[in-house]
Amino acid sequence: MPFEAMSAAADEDLLADYAAGDASAARVLTQRLAPRVFSHAMRMLGGDRAEAEDVAQEALLRLWRAAPGWRRGEAKVSTWLYRVTANLCIDRIRRRRGGTDLDSVPEPVDEAPSAAEGLQQRARAEALQGALDTLPERQRQAVILRHIEGLPNPEIAEIMDIGPRAVESLVARGKRALEAALIGRRAELGYEDDD
Amino acid sequence: MTERKDNRDDSFLPLDGQDDDALGLFFAAARAEPPQLGGDFLARIEAQALAEQPRSAAPIPVLPSRRPGRLAQLREALGGWVGVTGLATACAAGILIGISSPDSLSVFWGGDAAGLGTLGVDPLSGFDLALMEG
Repeated sequence: MPFEAMSAAADEDLLADYAAGDASAARVLTQRLAPRVFSHAMRMLGGDRAEAEDVAQEALLRLWRAAPGWRRGEAKVSTWLYRVTANLCIDRIRRRRGGTDLDSVPEPVDEAPSAAEGLQQRARAEALQGALDTLPERQRQAVILRHIEGLPNPEIAEIMDIGPRAVESLVARGKRALEAALIGRRAELGYEDDD
Repeated sequence: MTERKDNRDDSFLPLDGQDDDALGLFFAAARAEPPQLGGDFLARIEAQALAEQPRSAAPIPVLPSRRPGRLAQLREALGGWVGVTGLATACAAGILIGISSPDSLSVFWGGDAAGLGTLGVDPLSGFDLALMEG
């Protein structure tokens, strides 16, 4: 399959091509999936780049190894990957919590959010990440998948292996907690300027 | 159960429609600032993908070593095609000699003086017959 055509192909088709030994499919899948997996891991892990890279690499390694036995139509590749990624992240968060006090984990680099114009957006993103880090893992996962990754509830339910109503409940509780954490920072982050 | 704003069954909404609450700007900012991948990381992932890739969907079959058939074994025992050709020629000559009358072969003996008729070859001569009858 030509490279350009591959860019439009479904993940599942590309995975089949990958399993058939097509090197171009390996490249397209990497470019398509690695950023999403890494991004999700970064947000789940509170911006720890090294850990997020480890998780992304491990999740994709599992995908490459699952490719030859992949059964078409059973699960979307992206759904499967989000699930594997989130589970790896939650394992690390729990391990980290067991060994280290969460409060002692250093903040991600570039903390000091600036309210200066042009940096507001970045500061808001960092503030949100800081607030997300305070949520229980499942709430954090549901809010990230719904409001940052933009996935539909049924897919989130499949990723999290729960019902759609449970997803709604997790997202609602997560958002309430985020609002409570961020409400005091609206003025600091220039919220009023955008109204 | 109270209907909540975020309980809409609108499956996929990026986001413009669902970010109209107090958190909307924060989510929008997070989407606008996705974590950036390092180039070497992508290269590492790609190398790993290629290293893990099955070599080929249809691997070149390794043919089992076959034993030669009986005809091939016989041919080899006779010295290959050269031996077989020689044997076939000898057989044909033998058959020719066998079915030809003795006189027609006189040409091979070098003239009439050595012809089989002249030599009086008799497979069952009178002497032999007398000997057999006692």
